[in-house]
Amino acid sequence: MGIVKKQLKRPEVLAPAGTLEKLKIAIHYGADAVYIGGDAYGLRSRAGNFSFEEMSEGVAFAKKHGAKVYVAANMVTHEHDEEGAGEFFRRLRDIGINAVIISDPALIEICAMDAPGLPIHLSTQSSATNVETLEFWKNEGLERVVLAREVSMEEIKTMRAHTDVEIEAFIHGAMCISYSGRCTLSNHMSKRDANRGGCCQSCRWKYDLYEVPFAGKRHSLTDEFDKDEPFSMSAVDMSMIEYIPELIENGVDSFKIEGRMKSIHYVSTVANVYKAAVNSYMEDPENYICKQEWIDELWKVAQRELSTGFYFSTPSENEQLFGERRKIPSYSFIGEVLSYDEKTKIATVRQRNHFSVGDDIEFYGPGFQHFEQTVDVMWNDEGESIDRAPNPMMVLTMPVVQPVSVGDMIRKKK
Amino acid sequence: MKINITATVESISQAEKLLEAGVDTLYFGGKTFGLRLPYNFSLEEQQALTELSHRFGKKVTIAVNGLMHPEKMAQLPEYLSFLEGIQADAVAVGDPGVIHVIRRDNLQLPFIYDGHTMVTSARQMNFWYKRGAIGSVVAREVPYLELKEMKNKLLGFGEILVYGATCIHQSKRPLLENYFNFVESEARDTTRESDLFLSEPKKVETHYSIYEDEHGTHIFATNDLNLMEHLDKLADLNFLHWKLEGLYTPGDNFVEIAKQFVEAREALEQGRWSEDLAQELSKNVSSLHPDKRALDTGFFLMSPEEVK
Repeated sequence: MGIVKKQLKRPEVLAPAGTLEKLKIAIHYGADAVYIGGDAYGLRSRAGNFSFEEMSEGVAFAKKHGAKVYVAANMVTHEHDEEGAGEFFRRLRDIGINAVIISDPALIEICAMDAPGLPIHLSTQSSATNVETLEFWKNEGLERVVLAREVSMEEIKTMRAHTDVEIEAFIHGAMCISYSGRCTLSNHMSKRDANRGGCCQSCRWKYDLYEVPFAGKRHSLTDEFDKDEPFSMSAVDMSMIEYIPELIENGVDSFKIEGRMKSIHYVSTVANVYKAAVNSYMEDPENYICKQEWIDELWKVAQRELSTGFYFSTPSENEQLFGERRKIPSYSFIGEVLSYDEKTKIATVRQRNHFSVGDDIEFYGPGFQHFEQTVDVMWNDEGESIDRAPNPMMVLTMPVVQPVSVGDMIRKKK
Repeated sequence: MKINITATVESISQAEKLLEAGVDTLYFGGKTFGLRLPYNFSLEEQQALTELSHRFGKKVTIAVNGLMHPEKMAQLPEYLSFLEGIQADAVAVGDPGVIHVIRRDNLQLPFIYDGHTMVTSARQMNFWYKRGAIGSVVAREVPYLELKEMKNKLLGFGEILVYGATCIHQSKRPLLENYFNFVESEARDTTRESDLFLSEPKKVETHYSIYEDEHGTHIFATNDLNLMEHLDKLADLNFLHWKLEGLYTPGDNFVEIAKQFVEAREALEQGRWSEDLAQELSKNVSSLHPDKRALDTGFFLMSPEEVK
């Protein structure tokens, strides 16, 4: 008798898309779904948010590529903030948005009543940490719950065994140090409402730590330690690239990448890596190995050190940004391929950051295509040989050592 | 008009004094399920407190308002049955999973929704009332002018903190322990009793109390809240459930503070309220408040436009 193979469900790679351009790039680079913000009801007041027209274009593009588009409407409303939300959700539904991500029960109710047919996902702002909560929201008609980032792998496994509601979990990116939503530091320190898009990351500030005033005088602890280090609450970022099998086996339906404020370089790279890893595992789970090149690739767009958050243990001081920062080699995104001539092996490139002849550069494209080369020669749009490409968005041509495709990206080490 | 004053409890003897002082509802619980409580009562003590309150013809609300991870959830049904058995008048709940269990197990246990920062509009509160909540605890970040907007919209009662500390951050991480581990090797006391606080380097007046327990790390606003001088406004808006929170105000001082609020309630109920009385009672509260902590009105008087 052969061993009955467990049916693996392919998880969705869900990427952030702060703009229409990022949406297209994320999907081009393998994202199965993207999440975006609308003009209202979101939490990222400074991220590029989408107009309805841009959403329509984004949805059309996504449909063509078999991808989905979700809209984050995860504000916690005060009186009157919810006005117009019904119309907003209806509009999203009619545009063809696949789901909305909400934490506020008022907005959930409005969406369910006024825009029936538009699936609702519970936002991580609601800090769902147990299966009973998942069942509560499932009974309210929600399609999916985005788990709190404080949940462990073991806890996900237990939850999965007891509910069939879709589970979405963060697998990469920056983390709130608090239970998301349970933090009003910005409200109290800067009069900006963290749950209405005003978070000013007060957790990442430096603080002094004191004991109670003794005999009328504050006693600073910060000053008395061997290490001269202020108190802070800054978390390192998360990367679960080395644990793709565990996430799939334990039934996570959607792999969420954080970062609607992040660059094209970040979005394309991270989506590309996780899609490659998921594809590799789904094709042949038994012989799967996590490739070092995937890990290396993620470090190229890392802004902070990387950890596995709460998945395997409660984060210690090593998962907070104390002391000297380890130097992370940083890369800059220098251009994108507009066209490629197979006969002459010459690529036409749009510059996105300055670079020069002699630079070692790296091309990458969807499907985890990669190669490095040195810039020996390049020409401007008038065919004149140039040493440097200093002008933003200038179009230039250069010979390449391997074939490239439209939409491939170029980076170099800083 | 019947105003209900709820007060936290740190001991059985304090509970007796609070009931004698005229408090209507005792608020307490155990550390496993309750958040930021002055004392961790055993099951026997929770039963004794409930019986004590009922002997006085008063009520109890028991805190079951933590964010529950599966380990706690596994112990929850038994605890809720226990609370039903001792005839707890209500439980405060912040995790919808607890509501799910109350319904699933068909428990006769009224609940108050206490989602902390997440309770900021009438429509949200009504969401929970429609799902069985008898009341909900309004977030500290909701100003008076917004409470005014909520008037006549609510399907249940809205509880307002009128005295005590305001939590502004809950992390699952042991933030103090992590910091101490980084700066020195010896372990330090990170409990509430250690009385640690943070301050912004350029704002010496800031004083954010911080401690750890099994729910994580908790950080509090610089000033504790005292709405004594604005109780008439709350009464006018029909916000008649007031909470006194004694996390940082121990012993008899807290009882004496409760008496000031009971006096205010009686004055309002009997039409004796005056600004002079309010100021006098407020002054009493200030003098009874711990020396090392300050009071203000929090977000109450802020314009809704001020914090966006």
